[in-house]
Amino acid sequence: MQPPILEIKNLSKAYDHGKNPALVNFSLGLNKGEVLGLLGPNGAGKTTLISILSGTLRDFSGSVVFKGMDLFADRQLRNQIGIVPQEMAFYEELGAMENLMFWGGLYSIPEKELKKRAQDLLALVELSSRAKEPIKKFSGGMKRRLNVAIGLIHQPELLLLDEPTVGIDVQAKVSILDIIRQVGLQGTTVVFTTHQLAEVEQTCSRIAIMDKGIILAQGTLNELIRIVGEKDIVIVSGEFSADRFSDAIKPLIHNDIEILSITDNEAHLAFANSEGIPGMMQHLFQQHVSLADLKIKSPNLEAVFLKLTGRSLRD
Amino acid sequence: MSRTILIIKNDIKRRLKSPLSTLLFLIIPFAMTALIGLIFDPGAGGETKLPPIKVLLVDLDQNIASKFFIGAFDQKQLKDMFQATTVSENEGEKLMKKGKASAMIIIPERFSLDLADQKSVRLVVVKNPSEEFLPAVVEEFADTMAVGFSALAQIFADEIKIIKLVGNTSLEKISFAELTPFLEMSRVKIMAIKKFLSPLRIGLKTSVMAKPGQVSKAKGFNIFAYILPGMLIMFLLFIVEASMREIQSERADGKIRRMMFSPLTTHELMLARIFSGWLLGLLVCSLAMAMGALVFGIDWGDYFWLFILVAVTCFWSAAFFGMLNAFFRNKNQAGALASPIILVSAAFGGSMLPLEQIPSSMRWLAGFTVNNWFITGCREIGAGAIPLVSYGVLLVSGLLFGLVAVMALQRRLTT
Repeated sequence: MQPPILEIKNLSKAYDHGKNPALVNFSLGLNKGEVLGLLGPNGAGKTTLISILSGTLRDFSGSVVFKGMDLFADRQLRNQIGIVPQEMAFYEELGAMENLMFWGGLYSIPEKELKKRAQDLLALVELSSRAKEPIKKFSGGMKRRLNVAIGLIHQPELLLLDEPTVGIDVQAKVSILDIIRQVGLQGTTVVFTTHQLAEVEQTCSRIAIMDKGIILAQGTLNELIRIVGEKDIVIVSGEFSADRFSDAIKPLIHNDIEILSITDNEAHLAFANSEGIPGMMQHLFQQHVSLADLKIKSPNLEAVFLKLTGRSLRD
Repeated sequence: MSRTILIIKNDIKRRLKSPLSTLLFLIIPFAMTALIGLIFDPGAGGETKLPPIKVLLVDLDQNIASKFFIGAFDQKQLKDMFQATTVSENEGEKLMKKGKASAMIIIPERFSLDLADQKSVRLVVVKNPSEEFLPAVVEEFADTMAVGFSALAQIFADEIKIIKLVGNTSLEKISFAELTPFLEMSRVKIMAIKKFLSPLRIGLKTSVMAKPGQVSKAKGFNIFAYILPGMLIMFLLFIVEASMREIQSERADGKIRRMMFSPLTTHELMLARIFSGWLLGLLVCSLAMAMGALVFGIDWGDYFWLFILVAVTCFWSAAFFGMLNAFFRNKNQAGALASPIILVSAAFGGSMLPLEQIPSSMRWLAGFTVNNWFITGCREIGAGAIPLVSYGVLLVSGLLFGLVAVMALQRRLTT
């Protein structure tokens, strides 16, 4: 078995003189060619992790081994990693081709080779026809695609994408996710941070769920779903407080019904046997809990996330 | 180094694609210079009330013509304009070195006698190098007086000889009161033949205190040359600061994080940023100075030394703002602090007010501003000197700031 291409061990980082932990003994292994979705809400520590890997954040403990070597011992090792920051990290006054030539130029790639790679990447992100146009005229989706292309110009072995689909429409999102899948299929290892469940479900070969600086669970989608078991997810909404609903549902909690999360006006419950749902409804009416809606869903990543973190990704 | 050049080339390409902000920075100081110049230029019809100009008079002649010359400063109109003090030559030099007067006029020995003998004589005007406008007024006045005295000497050459013979005495013994009615009667004669006076009997020798042995080129006073350097340095600081603030933008929008994954080092990045800011400042400043020469007719002096001055000033500005931006936490902090720094530097450095108008107790602050060194350098070059002190101060402090900038950026990017 091949050793992992990236191995993060016990990485810890805290801000404000240790008062505000961002990563707590974070460990993760990544095999070559894997597309890992790093799923977590805001403040989970995703961007801190990427900043440490880029070398722009120090004063951390733990180790990062890339291709069998300490990532921070050799600056050249980092050159084999590509980054797609959350921000649009390119020069908007210039064209797409000019940007690719500039960013590629920083890696001292011979000009002829660089031009060829830039053309191929523009084709991959479907921007060949607008290669010379100033980027400031591009739509949000086109800019995001170019952002990904720049991260790939030096043909990195590991590509880090920090929430690459933020702020774009559905069509553009689909396009970006498709590019990430293609990159993964070409053998590049990808780490992709997001708080969009559907994106990792569609794109990643492996998923890691992190919150408050630690990994709560990781595995394939099916492996993660098994954490909640083969249960139906029931979402109940209405005009109630979290405390009121907890008190009302408490007598029904047993092996067949499990509370995933309860917030004001919404509760997520897992049912091993859906036949118990009418009984629960009747009980809640008797307890004068004001209900407005009820939805039943098959087990999914969202349920896993709720079970692990006790909160929705949007929180 | 190739990566540094790549970033500089990229910056040039970007600026050429959106040159509006650069052009604005070029036009604003120029427009302000034109506006202020037109308001204060007497030729434009503006009324300008100057403070009395401090003039030192050294009378080595001690005879009728020199007394007549000195006496002219007691006339009502001239009294409003000049604050004249008669001093010995040594005392005058000491006071000039202390910057206590705008100019010193030296009336040479045998001035009156040589004038009577129809020989050419010279008045010497020593100008204070730290001022430009007021010494120029003194120079103009001395020039006018020279024309007047030349007229007298030529028109009344025969009469002066007769007076000397009839009186059988030396000119020292003839009183001004005796001569005045005679001069008054001849006034009409002077006015009639004024245009035929040639050649002038009295020449004017002008020198700047810093180079006592050197005679400056005879130049008319150009108010735009007085204003433009101050405006230019102030806006140069703004434009270079805006260019150096890119460090903040690049940090905020993830470009620097992306760069840190490439082989580019923080040293190369800061070097590129400083050179890029330097190049932009050099371009804008050179264009503005060329426009100043073409539109306002400014004679900047030796262009080689001027180019060196602009180059070291732009380097200083880029290094200084590179350092500040490496220390600043973000773009907002940079924006909030840089502008006051530039404005305070402009106020104390002579961009907003002439240095000679700043209270002497606060003038020492000018030495800490780039504005002062640039303006002084421009004036020295204009007067035919080489501003070695300005070069030295700007280059050494610029190098120091550049070094601190590199270290601070390294620290800022890896915290």
